[in-house]
Amino acid sequence: MPYNPSVKHKLIRDSVRHFAETELASIAAEIDRNAVFPVEVIDKMKKLNYFGLQVPKEFGGAALDSVSAAIVVEEISRVCAAVGLCVTVHNGVAVFPFLQFGNKRQNEKYLPRLASGEMIGAFSLTEANAGSDAGSVETTAVKNGNDYVLNGTKIFVSNGGVCNLALIFALTNTDQKQLQSSVFIVESAYEGFLRGELEDLCGMRANPVSSLFLENCRVPEENILGKLGMGMKIGMTTLDNGRIGVAAQALGIAQGAFEAAVKYAKERQQFKKPIASLQTIQNYIADMATEQAAARLLLYRACELKDAGEPYGCEAAMAKLYCSSLASKTTSLAVQVHGGYGYSKEYDVERYFRDAKVTEIYEGTSEIQRMVIARAILAKLTL
Amino acid sequence: MLQLVVCIKQVPMVTELPWDEKSGTLRRDLAPGMMNPACKHALEAALQIKEKYSAHITVITMGPPAAKEVLYEALAMGADSTILICDKIFAGSDTYATSWILAQAIKKQCANVDLILCGAFTSDSETAQVGPQLAERMNVPAVAYVEKIEVNGKTLRVRRIVDNFRETLEMECPALVTISMENYLPRYVGLGGLQRAFGEHQIDILDAAALGVGVGDVKQEGSRTKVRQVFLRKTDKENVFLTGVAVNVVSEFLNKYERKISTVIGKSIEGKNRTNEE
Repeated sequence: MPYNPSVKHKLIRDSVRHFAETELASIAAEIDRNAVFPVEVIDKMKKLNYFGLQVPKEFGGAALDSVSAAIVVEEISRVCAAVGLCVTVHNGVAVFPFLQFGNKRQNEKYLPRLASGEMIGAFSLTEANAGSDAGSVETTAVKNGNDYVLNGTKIFVSNGGVCNLALIFALTNTDQKQLQSSVFIVESAYEGFLRGELEDLCGMRANPVSSLFLENCRVPEENILGKLGMGMKIGMTTLDNGRIGVAAQALGIAQGAFEAAVKYAKERQQFKKPIASLQTIQNYIADMATEQAAARLLLYRACELKDAGEPYGCEAAMAKLYCSSLASKTTSLAVQVHGGYGYSKEYDVERYFRDAKVTEIYEGTSEIQRMVIARAILAKLTL
Repeated sequence: MLQLVVCIKQVPMVTELPWDEKSGTLRRDLAPGMMNPACKHALEAALQIKEKYSAHITVITMGPPAAKEVLYEALAMGADSTILICDKIFAGSDTYATSWILAQAIKKQCANVDLILCGAFTSDSETAQVGPQLAERMNVPAVAYVEKIEVNGKTLRVRRIVDNFRETLEMECPALVTISMENYLPRYVGLGGLQRAFGEHQIDILDAAALGVGVGDVKQEGSRTKVRQVFLRKTDKENVFLTGVAVNVVSEFLNKYERKISTVIGKSIEGKNRTNEE
């Protein structure tokens, strides 16, 4: 357990922080306001391996351990959560399933293009009637010759507006008694792959979240990830990993809001002294710092278990639950510390406050995380 | 292939550190370390030479074991090999002793060096002395505050800005340059490079014994600089507000400051016309 960061982890944090502060800090508010995906910065990130965090070297990736990957997402999100979302979705739930389930041919074809960022990935499970209940997807894939023909609508797809490749969950057997889902690798260039308008969301506005429409979209059979019928398994495994990413993102948002609050508390004078000298503000700062330290350990524990090849689903759910709740709480307190100014778009904490909320919702709501944790605990014979 | 040596230093991440008034040294423990910005520009210059002319880059730093961090960063950016000069007896060395130790390391490990690159100055002590001193120790020509380097065989053409003039100079290898922060903007550190730095490289560590350096050469014995006193500049001036009726304010002003005013204008105003006003 990394109670003290290793030299490597410190250097990765410093390097990503330097990049994010240089490239993203000055545009984060503007791209949020105008809902603009920062293509130029993303292009720079591609060259620095941000899109192949854990992809093996032979496919052009950085081959980072999971703590390092989490640190990358934390540090980008600390400055700009919407870009952090792009990175964590791409790496955590679009690339990761290839590493776990992709066959040699699929990996050779897609991993180099994903790792270089030539292709930006998305993961499409959610539908209008299938959110927390992942078993209710209605998109279908019907075999036709050597292809499958996909029909359906996916909603709230992070990176949806810019993705070149989406992993689509579809039913390959709609018989209620033998319900079966599979995951298809769908390139945006395939005929019948259409994007909807970008969503007008409360936070993460610089990420192009959109719907995806599959209208008689023909996908070659060889693009079934893993095996036919492995949809649920791939989905659940991928979500476990995705939760580490969202936890890291939430922690980064909390860190950014916390730093802003501490800085402001030292500068802001009321009653002829900095408000940081007031005990109430000091209590806020102490609680934020303590809970963040705890959250970080919880997150890195899940990462280390994952890298050790041990089960980590429960720990990832704990990390996601705790970090996302912390993000909401910390950003709310950071606004409070800023007073009226915190409610203004002039200060970054207003953006952090809006960005934080969705971390309690996507990649499994907090209610679902509690369900995952409770099930794991109750299944244990000894505690 | 050109043999390049880049000397770098780990400095605290904040620019203004408190002093330890007793020892006269900076409280470096209060801030995490980073590669000195000008040193990073020097490394970038070396990397661009490597890309253009083909070269082998050895990066050297002297410091505590924690200074390994900046060497890993240098490897991640594209350096080929690294040396950490590390020994407790080196602690407290001034620029005079430091340049001597660096010279011993370069002579021992990189005897066929063509060009030594240093940052023009460090962000913590800003003496700008180590580079030029090292050139003296190595007995090679040196140009400080360089912003552009061209290589033609073993001839170097370097450009620098001094006193608002742009100067272009030529010298033969082996030579030394100190790099200013005008140009050679350091590249970002790629994540793959960082992973490789830790996975595939090894940092050579040289201590005093390996360098054949004795206590007398370094530390306070080998240091020519003695820090007599360290103090924070304090301003004890305060604004004085004179209020009231104008005539009284002027009178009070003259009473308080007539000597200072006399000094400034160069003639006495003492007692002048004071009675006329009354």
